[in-house]
Amino acid sequence: MASKVHQITVWARGVVQDKEGRDIANGVASAAGKDGKFTQAFDNYVDLPDRVNVPLRKYARISDEEIEERYEYENEKPEIVIVADATIVKGINILRGMEKGGSLVVATDRKPEEILKFIPNRDLLSTIVCVDAKAICGEQTVDFSGSEGGVDSLGIGQGISAPILGALARCTDLVKLDNLAAVVKNQEALRKGHEQAVMSTVN
Amino acid sequence: MAREMMLSGCAASAQAAKMAQVEVICSYPIRPYTAIMMELAKMVANGELDAEFVHGEGEHAQLSVVLGAAAAGARALTGSSGVGVTYAFETYSPIAGGRIPLQMMIADRALDPPGDFGSEHTDAMSCRDQGWLMGWAENPQEAFDNCLINYRVGEDHRVLLPQFVCQDGYFVSHIPGKVALPDQSQVDEFLPPYSLPHPLDPKRPVSHGPQIRPDQGTIMDMQRAQAMLDAPAVIKEAVDDYNRIFGREISPFVEEYMTEDAEIAFFIMGAHTMTARHAVKHLRSQGVKIGLVKLRFVRPWPTQEVAEALSKFKAVGVVETSTSYGGAMRGGNLLHEVRASLYELPQRPLTTSFMAGLGGEMVPLKEFYYMADILSKAVKEGKTKKTVYWVGFEAEE
Amino acid sequence: MFNIPKEKQVPLGCVTPAPVTEQPMMITGNWREYRPVLEPEKCDLCMNCVVFCPDACFQLDEAEEMVVLNTKYCKGCNICINECATDALTKAYELDFEDGVVRLEKPF
Repeated sequence: MASKVHQITVWARGVVQDKEGRDIANGVASAAGKDGKFTQAFDNYVDLPDRVNVPLRKYARISDEEIEERYEYENEKPEIVIVADATIVKGINILRGMEKGGSLVVATDRKPEEILKFIPNRDLLSTIVCVDAKAICGEQTVDFSGSEGGVDSLGIGQGISAPILGALARCTDLVKLDNLAAVVKNQEALRKGHEQAVMSTVN
Repeated sequence: MAREMMLSGCAASAQAAKMAQVEVICSYPIRPYTAIMMELAKMVANGELDAEFVHGEGEHAQLSVVLGAAAAGARALTGSSGVGVTYAFETYSPIAGGRIPLQMMIADRALDPPGDFGSEHTDAMSCRDQGWLMGWAENPQEAFDNCLINYRVGEDHRVLLPQFVCQDGYFVSHIPGKVALPDQSQVDEFLPPYSLPHPLDPKRPVSHGPQIRPDQGTIMDMQRAQAMLDAPAVIKEAVDDYNRIFGREISPFVEEYMTEDAEIAFFIMGAHTMTARHAVKHLRSQGVKIGLVKLRFVRPWPTQEVAEALSKFKAVGVVETSTSYGGAMRGGNLLHEVRASLYELPQRPLTTSFMAGLGGEMVPLKEFYYMADILSKAVKEGKTKKTVYWVGFEAEE
Repeated sequence: MFNIPKEKQVPLGCVTPAPVTEQPMMITGNWREYRPVLEPEKCDLCMNCVVFCPDACFQLDEAEEMVVLNTKYCKGCNICINECATDALTKAYELDFEDGVVRLEKPF
C-alpha cells in the first residue's frame, strides 16, 4: 500500500487572508517538494467563494510516494494545524480529526497558555507554536490571481505567511527552513518568524 | 524544447488557447471554469495574447457572440460549467448545423438543484446530440492537448464542427498537474490558421441560417451526420501528427491500461481514471486479472474501437459520472452506447453500469475494489445481478 | 428499491426548512475578530445600531430598555461602532472574552 500522507491544514480569514493562507499551503508543498517528496496544495473547494472574514481552509499533503487518492476534498486527519488569525481557535474545532501528538501553529501576540484555554480538546496536541506574524511583517496581501485554479502572479510569502512558515519549520521536519527560504519572497520575515516563534510542549 | 510546469486544468487550457492564438474570446463567470477566462484576461491585458475579449451578459450571449465572431472568420473560444452550459442550449444546434467550428471549454459542474459545485458529466452530456465533437480530459496535460487537437479536427474542412472540450470541475480544473508546454513554432506546425469556407464577408455576401422547407430539413441533418462519419479519420490523422510533432504517444479514441490477459475491465473517462489506474495496479499485484479502458471522445463515438477493446473481456464495468433518468438501463449514458457498440459481436462481455463520483463526490480506491469484486462475481456466475449500481449509496452485496 | 443509509439521506427535492428568526445551520459568530462592546449609560436608544446591522444582531429589549447584541451571529463588521451616535459602542478583541461564541465542528 502507499506510504503515509502527512496532512497539514491552514485556517485563515476569507478575502483578507485568502492569499496569505494559500501561500502558506503552497509554501509547505513547494518546500517539501524540494526534498523530493510528493506533494499537493489546494484550497478547500466549498469554503470558496470566500466572504470577508469567513473561516476558510487551505490544505497541503506530503508523502514519500506518489499520492494515489488525489481528489480528497478535505484533510480528515491533520497532523499540523496552522491558524493565520488567532480568533479562529475560539469558534471552530480546529483540531477535529487530529490524532494524538499533533502540532498547532498560531499567528498571535498572545502567549501559548492564553490560546490553549480556548481549545477544549488540547490533549490531542504535543506542541504549540505562537508567532506574532503581524508585528514581524504587518502586511496581508489581498490578491486573487492564484485562486480557483489560476496562476499566482505575485509569488509566495510577501506578508504574514512568511513568518508563519518560519515558525512552522520550528516544530516539524516535514518542511525545512532552507527549502522554505528558496521559495518564499520575504526572507527576512521568514527568518524572524523562525527565531521569534514561541514553542512550548503541551503534553 | 518543451517547458514543464505545474498548472491546473484551467491554466493549462488557457495556455493552449493562447498558443492556438484565438482571436475572439467571450467570457461569463461561473465556477469552476472561471479561471480559464481569468488567465486569458490577464494574458490579453499583458499583451501576451492579441485577442478581442468580450464579456457577455450570460452564457446564451457568450455562445451568440462567438458564433458571430467565428462566422465572420475569427478563431473563437468560449466556455462554461454546469447550468451555464444548459442556459446556452438553444445555440448549440445553430452553431453545429451552420458548420461554425468554434470551441467551448467546459469544466463540469453538477446541474441544479440545488447548488452543487462538484463535477458531474451530465452538463455536457445533455448536449451530445447536437452535432458537436465532445471529449474528456483526464488531467491538465490532456486538457492542454485536447484544446489543440479539437481546434485542428473541428476546423478541418472535411469536418467543420464545433467542439466541446470537457474536463472535470475541481478535479482537473483546479488541482495542478505536470504540463509540458511546447514551443509556439511546434503549435504553428500542428494547427493551421482558421479559414472558414463560408464566412460573413462583405466582399462575398452570404446568408447564414435562412428559412427552409421541411423536405430540405433531412438533407441539413444528413450533412451533420456525414461530418460525424468523416470525423474519426480526421481525428486519427490529427493525433498522429500531434504525436509526431510534440513527441507524445496519445491514442486517439480509447487507451488501454494493463489489459493483456485481463478478464474484467473498467470502462471510464475523466478525472477518476487516474485513481482507477492505481486501483488496477494494486488489484493486479494481488492477482486479479483486471484492466482499464479509457475513453477519450464521446462524439464521435468510436464504435469500432470500443468493440475491439472490450471484446476481449468477460465482464466490463462502465464507470459513469452522468445520469440519464429513465434511460433503458436506468442509470447513466455510457452503458447504452457501450452495449450498442457490442451488439454485433458474436461473443459479448457482461456489462454493468457503476454510478460513481456523482455530485462531485470523490471515488476512493476502495470503491474501485468493490466494483472489481462485483465484476469478478459476475464472471463466476455468468451474469450480472443488476445493470446499474449506485456505488457507495446502496447496501453492498 | 434504493436502500440509502440514514445518515446520508437528503430531504425530497432538497427542500429545507426556512428560518423564522434565526438560521441555526449558518452560525456566523466565529467570523468576527473584534466585537462591539456597549456602555449602556452612554446609549440614548437612537437605534442606529439596530437599523444598520447587516445581520440584525442588535435587538431592542423593551423590558430592559436597552439594545442587546446577539453574539451568536455578529460577524464583527463594526458598522454599528461606526454609526453609533453617542460613542456608546467600542471595539474589543474577541480573544479578550471567554464567552460569546458557539463552538462549531465545521465552518458550516
